[in-house]
Amino acid sequence: MLGVRALFGIGLLVTSRGGSVLTHTGACARIASNIYGKDLTHRQACTMANTIKYLGQEEAQHIDEELFDEYSFSVDQLMELAGLSCATAVSKGYPLLSLLKSPPRVLVICGPGNNGGDGLVCARHLKLFGYEPSVLYPKRPSKQLFQNLTTQCEKMDISFLTEMPEADVIDEVYNLVVDAIFGFSFKGAVREPFGDILSQLKKITVPIASVDIPSGWDVENGCPDGIQPDMLISLTAPKKAANHFKGRYHFLGGRFVPPALEQKYQLNLPQYPGTDCVQQLN
Amino acid sequence: MNHSSNEKEPETIEPLRYLSKMEVATIETELLRDYRFGQQQLIEIWGHACAIAVTKAFPLSSLSKKQPTLLVVCGPEQNGSIGLVCARHLRMFEYEPTIFYPKRSPQSLHQAFTVQCEKMDIPFLSYLPTEVQLLNDAYNLVIDAILGPETEHKEVKEPYAGMLVTLRQAKIPIVSVDMPSGWDVDEPAKDGINPEVLISLTAPKKCATGFSGNHFLAGRFLPYDIQKKFELNLPEFPGTECVIEL
Repeated sequence: MLGVRALFGIGLLVTSRGGSVLTHTGACARIASNIYGKDLTHRQACTMANTIKYLGQEEAQHIDEELFDEYSFSVDQLMELAGLSCATAVSKGYPLLSLLKSPPRVLVICGPGNNGGDGLVCARHLKLFGYEPSVLYPKRPSKQLFQNLTTQCEKMDISFLTEMPEADVIDEVYNLVVDAIFGFSFKGAVREPFGDILSQLKKITVPIASVDIPSGWDVENGCPDGIQPDMLISLTAPKKAANHFKGRYHFLGGRFVPPALEQKYQLNLPQYPGTDCVQQLN
Repeated sequence: MNHSSNEKEPETIEPLRYLSKMEVATIETELLRDYRFGQQQLIEIWGHACAIAVTKAFPLSSLSKKQPTLLVVCGPEQNGSIGLVCARHLRMFEYEPTIFYPKRSPQSLHQAFTVQCEKMDIPFLSYLPTEVQLLNDAYNLVIDAILGPETEHKEVKEPYAGMLVTLRQAKIPIVSVDMPSGWDVDEPAKDGINPEVLISLTAPKKCATGFSGNHFLAGRFLPYDIQKKFELNLPEFPGTECVIEL
């Protein structure tokens, strides 16, 4: 009976390693088992022995760049998967049936960069899951991608607010707030209108679910007097700021990290259950 | 608090619509032009949902061979690219896909999908053996992502015609992406693939009416306005699932 290794052996299989056609039987069989055998046991060994890595800001930026430059992913591909993870995490932490207010309104606040884009995708999937998201998107980048994501939301009858509601209005109207303002690239001072927005968010009592980094926090050191989200959805891998997260739910999402990238940065990502695009870390 | 005071009318469940070739093309055009979805975005959504459907039809634990191997055969157009994305997600789900992608699309959009698979260390076959026993022995199943609704049925050229002949003889199950390769969108073809499992994307096509195998609907992203406009009557997806068995 011929197996995959034999197919390698008779020169039928080509792999990307070295880019050359492999014809040497011994080398082929080894590479076959290396490709599929090693990755799984390596991951199992890692999660047993080591804990998940928390990334510094520079590392997070390098990984992001590699995903686009080396691995040829497009921003809209990964953003779709990231946003889906966020919506899925929200629905796990705050199931429709558990919401106190009807209709199941959710406020999604989108910032001026990719974190905001993740928020737009998240809002769209929340709508498909039966929630009633409204989006606040005060500073919109000119890139076509963000305009398209906005149109997709508008065409799903997701309303866009013209200004940030006061904290007491948010508490009255919405079941939770998705914070998609700033992500792992955030550095320095908070520009308006986000300073004001974050001030309001510090006063609300409904839960905040932050996408990747609680907005306003230092990406590595956290922020003791910043917003205190109830949920954090780390994307790709958690960042060091997550060490300071004190909320109830820490989810990992963005299930697209190629094994080779994971190994290179020794991310020690735990195994996702089945085909789920999120997993709870705490 | 708003409670509707009038009686709710008894819901008549309208039957699921099976789309004609024209409707498939119109919906896709509207998605891109009016709803501003990106093509890569859609292919990612479809490929991801397709992979989840494969895991429902063939859970890892159900595979008979020692390794969870499968062969993904990709055609030159969109259906093939969806196959590539599907293969990549199956890899993330701990399956061991191998890809056969003889004629690669020259469009850079589709080329990126190939690189993504290569960088996941997914092997690519250099040719499809005509000896079907090799396939039966090496793989648990074949994913047919060769031809989709975008291809004219009458124009099945080589190497695809030959590949269809080989695959039709395979003893291992075939899973077709969106529609069985070689079929016309509006009606089945006797000389096309006869899959055990069909994963319809977005909405089923007319040719799938009366399909006797396992039929899945995959892809949960359609704006409600399009669903209403084309009277798709899609079933309700449970929870956060993006796949439903029909």
